[in-house]
Amino acid sequence: MVETKVAGKVADDVHALTTPQGSGGEPATPTVLQGIGGAGIAAVAAQPAMPREALSASQAPVDRTLENGHGEPVVSPHPYAAQMRERRLAIEAQGRARRDTLLYLNGVTKSFDGFKAINNLSLVIEKGEMRAIIGPNGAGKTTMMDIITGKTRPDKGEVYFSGDVDLTRHDEAAIASMGIGRKFQKPTVFESHTVEDNIRLSLSGPRSVLEALVHRKDEAERQRVEAILETTRLTDKRQIFAANLSHGQKQWLEIGMLLAQDPELLLVDEPVAGMTDAETEETARLLREIAATRSVVVVEHDMHFVRALGVKVTCLHEGSVLSEGTLDKVSADPKVIEVYLGR
Amino acid sequence: MILARFLGPRVWILIAAILAAAILVPLSNLALPADHPLHVPSYLVPLFGKYVCYALLALALDLVWGYCGILSLGHGAFFALGGYAMGMYLMRQIGARGVYGNPELPDFMVFLNWKELPWYWTGFDQFWFAALMVMLVPGLLAFVFGFFAFRSRVTGVYLSIITQAMTYALLLAFFRNDMGFGGNNGLTDFKDILGFSIQADATRAGLFAASCIALALGVLLVGWITRSKLGKLMIAVRDAESRTRFIGWRPEYVKLFAFTVSAVMAGIAGALYVPQVGIINPGEFSPVNSIEIVVWAAVGGRGTLIGPVIGALLVNYGKTVFTALAPEFWLFLLGGLFVFVTLLLPRGIVGTIDHGWDALRATRRAKEAEKGETAGTDVVPDPAE
Amino acid sequence: MNRSIPWLLLSLAVLLFGLGPAAAQQAEADPAAIVQKFGGKQSFDATEAVIAELAATGDERVARALRALREGDLYWREGDEAVFIATRKGSDYEIFDPLTGDSAGTVPSGDLQKVRVKNSIRNAVTGALGTLTLRAENPAQRMRAASTLFSDADPEMIGPLDAAIAAEEDSAVKARMQEARASAVLASDLPAADKAAAAKVLATRADRESLTMLIRFAGATDDPVAKQAADAAIVAIQNNIAFWNQTQNIWYGLSLGSVLLLAAIGLAITFGVMGVINMAHGEMVMLGAYTTFMVQELIRNNAPGLFEWSLTIALPLAFLVSGTVGLVMERGLIRFLYGRPLETLLATFGVSLILQQAVRTIFGPSNRQVGNPDWMSGAFDVGLMSVTWNRLWIIVFALVVFLALLAVLNRTPLGLQMRAVTQNRRMAAAMGIRTPWVDAMTFALGSGIAGIAGVALSQIDNVSPNLGQGYIIDSFMVVVFGGVGNLWGTLVGAMTLGIVNKFLEPYAGAVLGKIVVLVLIILFIQKRPRGLFAQKGRFVDA
Ligand SMILES: Nc1ncnc2c1ncn2[C@@H]1O[C@H](COP(=O)(O)OP(=O)(O)OP(=O)(O)O)[C@@H](O)[C@H]1O
Ligand SMILES: [Mg+2]
Repeated sequence: MVETKVAGKVADDVHALTTPQGSGGEPATPTVLQGIGGAGIAAVAAQPAMPREALSASQAPVDRTLENGHGEPVVSPHPYAAQMRERRLAIEAQGRARRDTLLYLNGVTKSFDGFKAINNLSLVIEKGEMRAIIGPNGAGKTTMMDIITGKTRPDKGEVYFSGDVDLTRHDEAAIASMGIGRKFQKPTVFESHTVEDNIRLSLSGPRSVLEALVHRKDEAERQRVEAILETTRLTDKRQIFAANLSHGQKQWLEIGMLLAQDPELLLVDEPVAGMTDAETEETARLLREIAATRSVVVVEHDMHFVRALGVKVTCLHEGSVLSEGTLDKVSADPKVIEVYLGR
Repeated sequence: MILARFLGPRVWILIAAILAAAILVPLSNLALPADHPLHVPSYLVPLFGKYVCYALLALALDLVWGYCGILSLGHGAFFALGGYAMGMYLMRQIGARGVYGNPELPDFMVFLNWKELPWYWTGFDQFWFAALMVMLVPGLLAFVFGFFAFRSRVTGVYLSIITQAMTYALLLAFFRNDMGFGGNNGLTDFKDILGFSIQADATRAGLFAASCIALALGVLLVGWITRSKLGKLMIAVRDAESRTRFIGWRPEYVKLFAFTVSAVMAGIAGALYVPQVGIINPGEFSPVNSIEIVVWAAVGGRGTLIGPVIGALLVNYGKTVFTALAPEFWLFLLGGLFVFVTLLLPRGIVGTIDHGWDALRATRRAKEAEKGETAGTDVVPDPAE
Repeated sequence: MNRSIPWLLLSLAVLLFGLGPAAAQQAEADPAAIVQKFGGKQSFDATEAVIAELAATGDERVARALRALREGDLYWREGDEAVFIATRKGSDYEIFDPLTGDSAGTVPSGDLQKVRVKNSIRNAVTGALGTLTLRAENPAQRMRAASTLFSDADPEMIGPLDAAIAAEEDSAVKARMQEARASAVLASDLPAADKAAAAKVLATRADRESLTMLIRFAGATDDPVAKQAADAAIVAIQNNIAFWNQTQNIWYGLSLGSVLLLAAIGLAITFGVMGVINMAHGEMVMLGAYTTFMVQELIRNNAPGLFEWSLTIALPLAFLVSGTVGLVMERGLIRFLYGRPLETLLATFGVSLILQQAVRTIFGPSNRQVGNPDWMSGAFDVGLMSVTWNRLWIIVFALVVFLALLAVLNRTPLGLQMRAVTQNRRMAAAMGIRTPWVDAMTFALGSGIAGIAGVALSQIDNVSPNLGQGYIIDSFMVVVFGGVGNLWGTLVGAMTLGIVNKFLEPYAGAVLGKIVVLVLIILFIQKRPRGLFAQKGRFVDA
């Protein structure tokens, strides 16, 4: 950031230019700047902060196009300077909007052998938002999560996290470390470990092999584990091997593991499948509790559960958004009704 | 020490037994008269030493297979590489006492009309250098091989097969005379190690004791690793590799660590083995050898600390007995052992005992619970001791 | 009808009698006897008559005697007047049979008399040599004569060759003769222009022999024109030889590839389609080879006439033997281990040890002799490369097996059920497919095919208890390289590996070549962990 001020600025500019924005898709919601950029940056609006990584990623073309050939950045007077500025400001407004969203998918497409599991999907999750995603079987909900978590690479489209982190460039482990946690459709826990060890392994912290070798449990860690066990109602099961948990308990354990990672964004795939009504209630309560401090995306077929969550709903169908809004609005949408009932 | 608590009494008993053997066997061989009932005859000492090296090798394999889920069919190669490194040192120690009396070149090189020592033989006249290579060469190979294999997420049987291909390729390579490792005949006719005659009873006793100590240290090392958070992570990788990725770990590095450490252990086992058996040849690279190691670990119980040690000792003792009685039946028996263990004793001896013990405890506890007490913990699956 | 029979008999009789004397005559005109007529003091006319008589036999062996006569190396021994070719050896002569050239010991020089020659005799010999073979009735014989003359490069023969070429009607023989003439021209003292033309002719022949001839010539000649032509011809020939070397390499590669294909194709079913790691696969191949051995033993002892059919008989038997062993293995072992690939690997490895040892106990540890029927032996030339029949048949056979298997998988109910079961076992079971039966059949099929492969491999490899071990790693490499679960991948994988192996061999040697291939595959798996033709679908775990 301490480099030539103008260069940084121009780079930012061009980054915004070169990265196609959610043209038509995304309204430039005026949101309060928070989180990643840091509050201080809001004051220097003319020079928006940019994570270093994104900057370097987009810098290579910048250097070439906007330097005068001697390594010095081109500063005005330039014939198009005014025009450029106009455009830049317009784009900047949009770009900043993107940077304030936590998760930003634009025009994502993924096909398997010609079959488009995800088709030009665009989706935005705000910071602190909880979103329910519904859709018939095969709508692409799980595949969408695969794309966000780096398991599947999209053929086309942009996936940005926390503003400017391009998720398509990172692998699962890196994405998980950035703060995206995921619960699988089929609960996967470490069956030959105790509940407590499952959570301990998931606790955020260094992920180096050598650190793990010499790792010592300390009081802080103990407290965190305690808190998570408490939250997920597994305190009295802590010494049980995960293989011996009931299906519902495994789901909870997996959510607990998610919490242990301390993620900014939780992707929860069908958390209440195979749960009793009471357990479903409980899970909804738990998720709402979690959503108070984090962003959550929940995929679920159970409409009672979705209603219990009481959040904005997105309905996917054939890999793209069919309808979006409150549950009532979405379930009243004739397209949705047709997809679920008709055909 | 924290280990004391973690490893549990059984492992300590094992370590104590190994160390006791390290003292008692040499003592009885050297100090007791030959007609004493407790005298261990000299020919048995290197044989026992061989078993102990095999036990260390099985333990090394257990670290990757039992704990990390990597079924390596190439551990024989690491063992042999360690053995060759030691063999090269022993060759250089022969000096001018060889058949051709060349002070610099080993006999086989003179025989091949080589004029000077190949560059990769330099330094092997120094014990410290050879000892370093014993660990470095297998470790480096495992590191490079593992890096490529794990990074591209080659797992399961694919990995097993390419490790087998690796040892097969090395087998072919070491059979070549121009590799400079004695070709078909390998390295043999050793004279002395660190100045002691390799044939002397005292040297052999010393080598036996050294092998025992190496095994004990190996048990401690593997115990330390597997009881650490890393060890838990290994088991997690074994059971649900992709899950570990999604919570931010990089299983490839976990596996790479285990694989490399294990290869180094195998190399050390090989290095201790060679002076005791007096020869190392390319046959050690043969894929069958590598698979035999697997069966030792499987018989004893993989994923446990003491299982592979017990398995290696038992199977090799059986091999000695049977090849003496009816050599042609040994392969039938070994083959049958593979089938039997996988089909009927998948947990191995130690694992099965543990399992039965736990089941027993669980039923007893359930009975107590019926009597009105509150239940403790449930049945545990596949405990790692 | 009836009438014709006596006629037939009559004509048969005539034929027989007609042939009889002819055959007798042939026997009478024994060149060994005629050549002896050179012995004793003869007039030049008599010698010339003997030359004519020898030429009339049409026997190629007389050429040696005639040539010796021309060079003045033909002698007769005092006393028995026996005729020999003789060369000086110290003060004695070493003598050779005039027809066969076999050594007949040494004799003191005083015992031998030279058969006298003068120029007219020499010319007569040359003419006789030409007509002797170059004018023979049988084109094959003329061809052989031309080939011999080519190697002889004898300038004296230019005349007879010219005459023969003018008379020749068979174009292939004619071309050969022209080449022979060219070689003679190079060795002659004809003008440079002729030699340049000869070099061109040799360039069209383009084999190693003409290459050495040209190189020798180019080194010796002073004439720039001839030298230039020779150099051009040398380059052309070298290119040609290089081309055929490549072709030969590809051929060897395809041949090795077909062997790999045969060995791997059964594995492509058991491992590729079913996902079962069968380490005893190589032993199934071995059992097939031993079945062939048994069949040949039985035939040799009971019905030697059937030997040509031994492989045909062995094929179904080998399929049955290995298939049955496979079936027993699947029912008795593998079915308990589905979903546990590493355990399957170990258990089947145990089975492989047992099978090996069983065969070793029954048949002994050494190689067993499996014979090649006639149609599997021998070779023929294509251009500069030699094609052996057994390699050719194995390529054909491998492709036939491959196509048959493809047909079974894609066109038969069993194939359909197999694919259904492997794709979704529970669904298939729900549809009423007897999945255990399908599993057993699939495994038996894969094993049976390995047995068939064993029949073929018995023709080119040592039949010993270790036969299978040599193939197992290669087979796995082929299947993994080609892409698991894809038969076409196996085909391409096998052929690619075969060819790459053979192309590496000249540079790296057989062993190092193999190592390089293994390393390449290991690196390749890095890039494409699922092989060349990866199976598609959502089968990676969560
Ligand atoms: N790796 C893959 N290979 C081939 N097809 C795939 C793959 N992954 C997903 N698909 C296909 O993409 C489509 C979307 O699958 P996805 O699992 O995302 O649906 P979903 O909305 O999660 O369905 P459900 O509600 O049943 O979980 C399906 O038709 C599926 O078959
Ligand atoms: Mg889904």
